[in-house]
Order: sequence, then C-alpha cells, then structure tokens
Amino acid sequence: MEHARHVFRVIFVLLLALVAFVLGRTWLVPKSYGLYGPYRFDNVAEQAAIRAPLHAGAASCAGCHEEKAKKLAAGVHQHVSCEVCHGPAGRHAKEGKVVAKAAIDRSFTNCARCHRKILGRPEKFPQVVLEQHVQQMGPSALEGKVCLECHDPHSPKL
Amino acid sequence: MPEISGYAFPNDIHVHWSLMIVMYPYITGFVAGSFIVTSLSHLFGKKEFEPVARLALGASFSFLMVAFLPLLLHLGQPLRAMNVLVTPNFTSAMAGFGILFNFYLMIVALEVWFVYRVEIIQIARRSRGLKRRLYAALALWTYDTSPEAQEIDHRAVKILTGIGLPSACMLHGYVGFIFGGIKANPWWSTPLMPVIFLLSAAVSGIALLVILYQVTARLQRRPIEGETVQGLVRWLWFFLILTVTLELLEIIMLAYERSEEWAIISPLLTTRLQFSFISMQMIVGSLIPFILLMIIVMMNRYLHERVRNTLAFAASFLLLLQVFSMRWNVVIGGQLLSKSLRGLRSGYTPNLLMSPEGRFDREGIVIAVLLFLAPFLILWVFDRVLGIEPKTEGHAAHAGAHAEAEARLTSGAAS
Amino acid sequence: MDDTRSTRREFIQGAIKLGGGALVFLSGTSLAAEEHPAERYDWEAHRYAYLIDTTKCIGCGSCVRACAAENGVPDGFYRTWVERYVLSAEGSHVDSPNGGRDGFPPIEPGFHPTKSFFVPKMCNHCKETPCIQVCPVGASYRTKDGVVMVDGDRCIGCGYCVQACPFGSRFLNPATHTADKCTWCYHRVTKGLMPACVTVCPTGTRQFGDMLREDDPVRKAIEHERVAVMQPHLLTEPQCFYIGLDKEVR
Repeated sequence: MEHARHVFRVIFVLLLALVAFVLGRTWLVPKSYGLYGPYRFDNVAEQAAIRAPLHAGAASCAGCHEEKAKKLAAGVHQHVSCEVCHGPAGRHAKEGKVVAKAAIDRSFTNCARCHRKILGRPEKFPQVVLEQHVQQMGPSALEGKVCLECHDPHSPKL
Repeated sequence: MPEISGYAFPNDIHVHWSLMIVMYPYITGFVAGSFIVTSLSHLFGKKEFEPVARLALGASFSFLMVAFLPLLLHLGQPLRAMNVLVTPNFTSAMAGFGILFNFYLMIVALEVWFVYRVEIIQIARRSRGLKRRLYAALALWTYDTSPEAQEIDHRAVKILTGIGLPSACMLHGYVGFIFGGIKANPWWSTPLMPVIFLLSAAVSGIALLVILYQVTARLQRRPIEGETVQGLVRWLWFFLILTVTLELLEIIMLAYERSEEWAIISPLLTTRLQFSFISMQMIVGSLIPFILLMIIVMMNRYLHERVRNTLAFAASFLLLLQVFSMRWNVVIGGQLLSKSLRGLRSGYTPNLLMSPEGRFDREGIVIAVLLFLAPFLILWVFDRVLGIEPKTEGHAAHAGAHAEAEARLTSGAAS
Repeated sequence: MDDTRSTRREFIQGAIKLGGGALVFLSGTSLAAEEHPAERYDWEAHRYAYLIDTTKCIGCGSCVRACAAENGVPDGFYRTWVERYVLSAEGSHVDSPNGGRDGFPPIEPGFHPTKSFFVPKMCNHCKETPCIQVCPVGASYRTKDGVVMVDGDRCIGCGYCVQACPFGSRFLNPATHTADKCTWCYHRVTKGLMPACVTVCPTGTRQFGDMLREDDPVRKAIEHERVAVMQPHLLTEPQCFYIGLDKEVR
C-alpha cells in the first residue's frame, strides 16, 4: 500500500475533475431542460411567439376592402386568397393601419404562374397556351398587362 | 451552385459535412490504430513490438490532442460545443463523443503517466530550477521509484491498456455508428459500417507506425528491427484483407439485391466517385499495397532488410491514401446522392483557404493539412519531454531492472 | 511522520466522502421544476395533422412564396416545396425549379407523358422521427401537440439531423448556422390561425387539422379515406397525409 500512494494521488485528481464536471454541468443545464423530454421546454413558448403572423387570410382583407371582397366572392376566383397576388397582409397593414401599399403585380408572369398551360396541372383546370390564346384575341405583347387587358382579376370569367 | 443530374430534393444539394468531417474519422482512426499497436506490446506481450510501443503510445496521444479540432471547426455554432457535454441526448451516437473522447483521453493520459513516471522522476532529480519543477509537477509530485512501485506501475499500464483498447475502438467505432445508423441514406446505412471504420482505423494506425518507426529510427540513429517491421506488416496485411473484404462485400450485396438504392449508388460509384473510389481506394490504395505486403509476408526469408523496409514504407504510404479516400467516399459520397434516390450532385471540391466570396474558410484544404501535420509536431514535443525511444528497462520487472533501479535510487539519494 | 500521514489520509478520505456525496446529490438532476406561467394555449388539447390532396394541386407555388415571406426563409433553402412528376411507361421526369416558388415552366420531357401531377412537400412532423433521435444536444424535439421543432438557441449546427431526415426537409440556415425547417407555422397555429401555406393555397390542396377536434375535416379524411405517407417503409410515422399519391413518388 505504501508503494501504491502515487496511484491514490491520481485517483484523487480524477475524482476532483469528476466533481468539478458534475458541479459545472448542473450550473449549465437550462432550468426547463428535461421537464417534458430531452429538450428545453421554454423553447415551445419561444417558438409560439417567434414572430407576429404575417399572413392574415382573405377574410381579414374584407374588413377594409368590402366591395372588392364581394366581387371576388361572386366570381371564379373566390377561393384565391388576396394574399396570393397582393402579398402578405402584414406588409400592408398593421393593427388596422396601412403601413405600405400592397404589392400589385399586373404582369403576365403573375397570371401565368397558375394559368399557363404546363404539364402537371389537373385537366379540368383553366389553362392556356398564351401565344394561341392571345392570337385568338389579336396580336399583342407577351409581357406587360396582357391578361388584365381583358380579364378583371377579381372576377376574371368573361 | 452545384450541377444536378436527375432530380435532387431542393434542400439536398448542399454538402454540409465537409472536409473536416472526413478528417475527423481519419484522425481518430490513427488514435485507435496506434493504440492497437501499443497494446500488442503492453497487453499481449508480443516482444517484436517493444521497439514501437512508446512511439505508438505517443502517436495515439498526439493525434488525440487534435481529434476534437475538426469537429469544432465544422460546427455551425462552435461556441455552443459544450452543449454535447451539458445536455447530451443519448439516443444520438454523436452525443457519445463527449464521454468517449474524455474517457479515452483520461486513459491515454494515465497510461502515458504510468509508463513514463519513473523516468520523469529521474529527470526531475537530475535537473535544476524550472525544469526540475516542471518534471516534478508532471510526476504529480510523487517520488517513489522503488521496484515495488514500478511493479504497480506495470500492472497499472496493463490494466489501462486493457481498458484503453476497447475505449479506443469505441472512440472510433461510434463514428462508424454515426453513419451506419442513418436509415435515410442508403450509402451509409449498414450494420457493417462501425466494423469497416474500425478495421480501416487499424490499417491506418499500423501503416502510420510503419512509416513513423522507420523515420524516427533514422532520425534518432537507431537500427530498424526487422522483426518489428515484419510484425507490423503481418498485422497490417491481415487488417487490410479484412477491411477490403467488408468494403467490397457491402457493394456486392447491394448490387446483388438490386434494391432501389442500387439504382443510384451504381452511378454514384461509376461517375462521381470514379477516381476516389475505383482508382484511389481500390486499385492504388488496396490492390497494390495488398501485393506489396503479400510479398513481404510470404517471401520474408528471402528479403534483404532494405527491400523489406522500402516495400513496407511504400505500401504504408499508399494505405494512408487508401484510408483517406475511404473516409472521403463514405462522407462526401453519401452526400452527393439525393434522398430522392433520383439524382446526384456534382462532386464536392473543398476550398483551399478562402471561399469564392473571399471569406476565410475554416474547413478548407490548408486547415486540413495543418490538422494532419500538427500531431507530428506534438509528437516531437512529446519526444523532447518524455522520449519515444524504446527502453528495455522499466517495462518488465525482471532482475536486471530491479538491480538498476536500486542503483539509481541510491545514486539519486547521494546527488 | 506517522501523525502527518494519518491526518493526510483522513483529509483525503474526508474530501472523497464530500466529493462523492456532492456527486450523488447533484448528478443528473435538473433542478426542481419552476412553476411555468399558465398559457392560454393548451398544447395537450391538440394533435395536429396535415392533409395534401395532390389531385388538386396546380403547381402555382403560392405556398412556397407565402412560407418564405412568413418565416424569413433564406433564398435557395426551402421549408416547403412543390415537385412535379411527369410520368409514362418509358420514362419519368421530376423537377422542382426553385422549389416551385415561381411556378413551373413548360418542358419537353423527351417521351410522351401519360400522367403528370404536383406533390407539395414539407417536414412531415413524424411521430418516430429519425431527426430527433440523432440530435446530440437535445435541440430538436416534438411538442405534445405534434409539432417537431428546433431550439435555435441550443442547436450547435452539427448537421446530423439534416443528414438523418429521409425527406430532405431540413437545412442548415446560412444566417443562423443552425438547423431549420418547417414548423407548421407554430406561431400561427397556437393563435388559432392556419399555417401560411394553407392560408394562401387557392385550390384547397393543403389542409391543416386537429386529430383531437370533433368534426375536423382533416381528421375525417385521414380516418375514413385512403391516404398515403412518404417512405412508409422507414416507419417514421409521418403526420402529413397524402391523397392521390403515385408509386413513383418518394
């Protein structure tokens, strides 16, 4: 035993390190960790409050834009949310007050995203090959307001 | 933007696990492999490995010192790295890192201490001033060099090696488990992965020792023992055969079963990984060293020392490349295929030092090379402080050592 | 000599006892749970699920744009995306240009397609997630109402969860360097709103529901109609259910 003293010294040092580690760890573990599982429960509330909702849904636009909403609801675009074309309501109004103009994209690209004829869309969905569709109506530029020259976006069916 | 052939999920096109994640198993492979060599002497008592036992221990220690660095350099949030120790989630193999690394570090540090303790005390006795204090501190201010204490030291070394060997294997094997347990990636998901990684680590460690032994022996003007080289080569050949058998078996099995993953892994191997897998890992890295090592093993009696040493050196160098390309093919290869199993992205080229946007890339090639060279620097310091030359006394407690120790004690007391 | 040795021994023994006691007392405990303020939202009263009817999807990409705007998703990364499948017996073509964010272009697939459709995808909020399983620090978790999320303050950005997700739903956010993914707009659903993607979908492809609510249409569809999930052989138990899926979809 006398000759094994150096071993005990080593063991003592190791035990010290272990105690220091355990103490340090207890200090560092977040308080809400482990309450409902191996994660920090506080984050659930943090995620629920991470940002203010940006999209408001079509129903909220009707609060200020009643006529447009009524026209929309009567037409074939009744299920198309205002925010699809005009962007998130949260960028336009906060707490009932306008903060910026809502985006209005009048270009062919905006309509083409849904209505240009491509492989993949359901057969019955209204889609057109723009060149053919326009030629039926007469020669016109491909870009610009070409769709809107004939179609009202809030009640597009002619 | 990488080029995609076929269809890849939109989020799948990024290679998140970069060169650093290739370096990590490469380095821990050296740690484990070197420790296997030192255990051949300290634990299994094979005499032919005594000349490399201390060198291997020093190499294992040196590579261990930098093993955590590739991970730290890779993390998106390196300042939070301690989270793995503070709140480890043990369903994750990666969480084992904290415990396995620190446990093995403790074992290796203890083993180094017990192996060198007597000499540290002797150096402390011979020195003055700062050097004396430093060495006394290294010995934890113990002073007992009696044969009984040495006997306890030897027993401790044996026990520590016995614990250390499976710990080293776990430290590297868990990396294989990290990949093998991912059912989402068919190139990684196999129960063979931890075994392949471990056997491959043994190959890299022994190959490293073959090279290190010859280089250090030359530099320190010691003879290169033919028995040692022969012993290392035999084990190297054995592990190489096992490793390559398993690596090939995995692919052969995939090709035979022809599940949906083979449809994407086959083009992965033949197009994106053609150079790194077929050319480097299999032909240059496996076939040629296999032949070279076979020559040494089978024709041992007819070989001149020089020829044996040169062949062993060449084979070991190629095997270092093989193990690196194996890590590359697993880590990077697995990320080149999309989880859609319909697409491959173009090969990943790590930046040299700067990203294309002009920012310093901490996962670049220069950093990887520095990481590989740093352990050799640490080994040099290790040699200066402790010494990697083989010492015949201080290993086994036979009568000669006993007498020598006694003599030293008395002379130490007199000075 | 003997006296000092025994006092030293006693000291060491005492230190070991003290240290050991502290160890046993402190090891593994999270400190006593504090009282959490009662939330108006009760997460045990909900179990969310998502229904996607691929027969209705027109590939407009409004969902991808809405999600990116709502959650600040960086360019080139996607919390949700839409894939197009163009299929025939001779060949198949799958694409998702920019995740479908700007719609889909016309294509010449090189064979005569017999069927084509769109498949919107996002994190499936699986019950048996491979992603939570592999997170080394417990940053990824599943709430009691069935939403899988990432604690952005604990995530170390190792990327293991990104590798483990079989669906490619996760990515490493280049701004925060942490893992990121669809959260079913948890900041909206806890206030009784729908996720942003569901709010803007013009065709009713995307529906969000509560399995614990009576008369929930999503619940009804999942319980009574034929639905499929992604990669069922992996048994991750996704909570995004699909109507109209094809064998080619993975």
